[in-house]
Amino acid sequence: MASFIIRRLIALIPVMFIVLVIVFSLVRIIPGDPATTLLGPGATQQQIDALRAQLNLNEPVVLQFYHYVVGLFMGDFGYSLKTGQPVAAEILARLPATIELSVLAMIAAIIVGIPIGVLSATRPNSFFDHVTRVVSLLGVSMPAFLLALVLQLVFANYLGWLPVSGRFSPYMPVETMTGFAILDGLLTHNFQGALGAVQHLILPTAVLAAFLAATLGRFVRNTMLDVMGEDFIRTAKAKGLRRHDIVLNHGLRNSLLPAVTIIGLKFAEMLGGAILTETIFAWPGIGRYMFEAIKNRDYPVIQGTTLVFALLFVLTSILVDVLYSVLDPRVRRKMG
Amino acid sequence: MKIWNGIAIAAAALPLLFSGAYADDSAKLKTLVVAVPSDPVSLEPGTNKAEPIGSEIILNVFDTLVAWTAPDFKVLEGRLAKSWTVSSDGKVFDFTLREGVKFQDGTAFDAAAVKFSLERTKATNPYVKATFDLIKEITVVSPTELKITLSGSYPAFLSILAQPQAGIVSPAAVAKYGDKFAAHPVGTGPFAFKSAQADTNVVLEANPDYFRGAPKLSQIIYRVIPDASTRRLELEGGGVDIVQQQGQLSAIAAEDIEALKANKDVKVLESSSQIIRQLEFNNSKTDGPFANVKAREAITHAIDYDGLLKGVFGGTAERVYGPLPSNNWAFNPKMKDLAPKYDPALAKKLLAEAGVNPSSLNLKLYSFQGPLWGAVATFVQANLADIGINATIEQTEFPALRTLQTSGQFDVALDGRQPWYNDPDAHITIGYLSSLANTAMTFRMPADKQLDDLILKAQQTPDLEARKQLYFTIQEEIAKRVPGAYLFSPKLIVFTRSNVEGLVVNSAPPLNEYWSVYKK
Repeated sequence: MASFIIRRLIALIPVMFIVLVIVFSLVRIIPGDPATTLLGPGATQQQIDALRAQLNLNEPVVLQFYHYVVGLFMGDFGYSLKTGQPVAAEILARLPATIELSVLAMIAAIIVGIPIGVLSATRPNSFFDHVTRVVSLLGVSMPAFLLALVLQLVFANYLGWLPVSGRFSPYMPVETMTGFAILDGLLTHNFQGALGAVQHLILPTAVLAAFLAATLGRFVRNTMLDVMGEDFIRTAKAKGLRRHDIVLNHGLRNSLLPAVTIIGLKFAEMLGGAILTETIFAWPGIGRYMFEAIKNRDYPVIQGTTLVFALLFVLTSILVDVLYSVLDPRVRRKMG
Repeated sequence: MKIWNGIAIAAAALPLLFSGAYADDSAKLKTLVVAVPSDPVSLEPGTNKAEPIGSEIILNVFDTLVAWTAPDFKVLEGRLAKSWTVSSDGKVFDFTLREGVKFQDGTAFDAAAVKFSLERTKATNPYVKATFDLIKEITVVSPTELKITLSGSYPAFLSILAQPQAGIVSPAAVAKYGDKFAAHPVGTGPFAFKSAQADTNVVLEANPDYFRGAPKLSQIIYRVIPDASTRRLELEGGGVDIVQQQGQLSAIAAEDIEALKANKDVKVLESSSQIIRQLEFNNSKTDGPFANVKAREAITHAIDYDGLLKGVFGGTAERVYGPLPSNNWAFNPKMKDLAPKYDPALAKKLLAEAGVNPSSLNLKLYSFQGPLWGAVATFVQANLADIGINATIEQTEFPALRTLQTSGQFDVALDGRQPWYNDPDAHITIGYLSSLANTAMTFRMPADKQLDDLILKAQQTPDLEARKQLYFTIQEEIAKRVPGAYLFSPKLIVFTRSNVEGLVVNSAPPLNEYWSVYKK
């Protein structure tokens, strides 16, 4: 197992390098240079040229790449062209918000999605099954911005139960320690602030979890239906095992294997930032940061965030493989 | 069963989540929450590039020597300067400074701080290079007297001194924080910087020792809310007190404005802006359909200006009559009569006189992106179709559009100018001086000694009245050359909660000072 993980981690290096080369050249191929974009339509060529010089944009691209890679080895992700702040620090400042949201959405989706899939599969074509299938179809196909707007209108503006957007109440700010708002509220004994942070999390979590829960529910239902038709289930039934033993220990366990892949990939995607959800809920996460950077042609930020996403993606897929081995003894033997 | 017990307890505790975790009302009344679409780029004069959010914060944290007087912003008043005189050749500015003013860090403001600040901006801020490079020398005569000498006459210099880039910084704070000054800006303004969280907020605290008197608010919170519909929901729900129309190219849909006007919890403040939006011709081109002035004139008569203001903007934009907006101090009232009127028959006649067969034209109408520009372009397209011209709309991403425009690869384009300082110079020189034709998004005027000389003379004439007359002539001269069709000037629109009082919306550039604002 250990050697498997080490092998995978070593393979990470060329992957990251290729990602870096691609993103480094891609951002420079898209038309529009950062100085022009930053200064807006009113700027003169003189102003643009002066800014280009200040931002070192006149260096040959190959040299820029060389300096960037050398910097990376020393943990230097460069400086944002827009704000002049170090990219690594800016990413770290935003990562907790994204992690907070995606982990919670993940948990919510698993808690809701998997039981629904299991229940639907054990009672196929029942009333419950039909209802959940319609609801999950809605969940999969409803665009996030629409769901977000409906939830904001109903729960924030109409009922007044929850805040519209943000991470905490402007009047009850939470001091930053770890960057995780709820935790920071508790650590600084700002319990009202922590409660406010929980309230602010509910709507964005719901929007993000809805799609995933629906996907998971449909997926688990289908694989469960397949598995429940297998010979070993019939054998288990013939042995006189209790129904929920069959469903949970034999049916679910075997359907979870492909579900883990989906969960893993979707989770990596969410860590890469739910751009729409973060934008609509004014959530200061990393997806929004990257989106703004692309709009502003902020090369170092685009590069830095892409690298972090790629890293998270690869790490998550390694984790999924490890989980596979936990769930499936055959895989465990192969990994040696 | 244990699970169900847990769920029951959780459900019973749920209402706790929805209970208000908010501060008491008196603290809320003293706090102004302003929604902005993104983080400020820079919070200090030395690096500010006229980006609106950072500029507004700077003007609340820092003071300038002079500022435009509310509410019509046509006359300068002293801020950190008590009074000033300008030499007859327009090159030497003598300032008498206010006494007893302190920076927010407790150090004293004096002439040396002004010299320090302006020289610092000159050295670090490429955005103002063209104007700050005119400064030949800054002399500290005494702690309250300062002399600025320019290398040439430039009367708009006072207007530049009212800009955020000319804010006066605390030399002690710059020495203390060095490179990190933008994260700890210290000025003399009504509000002091308290904290900022990335993509979340910027918090300012009242400066109780402010020389014009302590502000009525105790703090201002800028909340970063990138999505326009979320900003609207927050305003309607009371989560924010002020939403501004921000960004150079964006505007609010007319339907949104109507809906908010009908909401009794919301006030809609509208005021004229100095922004001009136009259809411009590539005036450098010596061939092509619009080389003949009559063909250009035809287009200006083809556009239904009032229909555009009403149909697309629902009254949230105003007519522009010429190269200067009608609220500029140098606006020539004669332009109202000289401006072209909607007359498709005349347009067709002029095209025929110019020898242009409209059906042979296949125009590409370039425009910025966004639904508003799209609507304007569609309206213009329909007007052109009425006189037989077929135009296709090309909405292009800004940097690419700029390249097309500055390299002259177009016949007609929608464009506009939002002046970053309050002076006719900000519209006229950059837009129409032929030597600047390729250096920015301009009208690309061809070499024209008569007009060029007039523009340069107006830029450099120290006497205000003489300058005004020169700009009057320039406006008429430009109108004769028909460099474009002036379409509209969008109004500045600020939405506030109905209990917000005392806000004066600044027309050029749109930056608000919150010193006089309070909540009822």
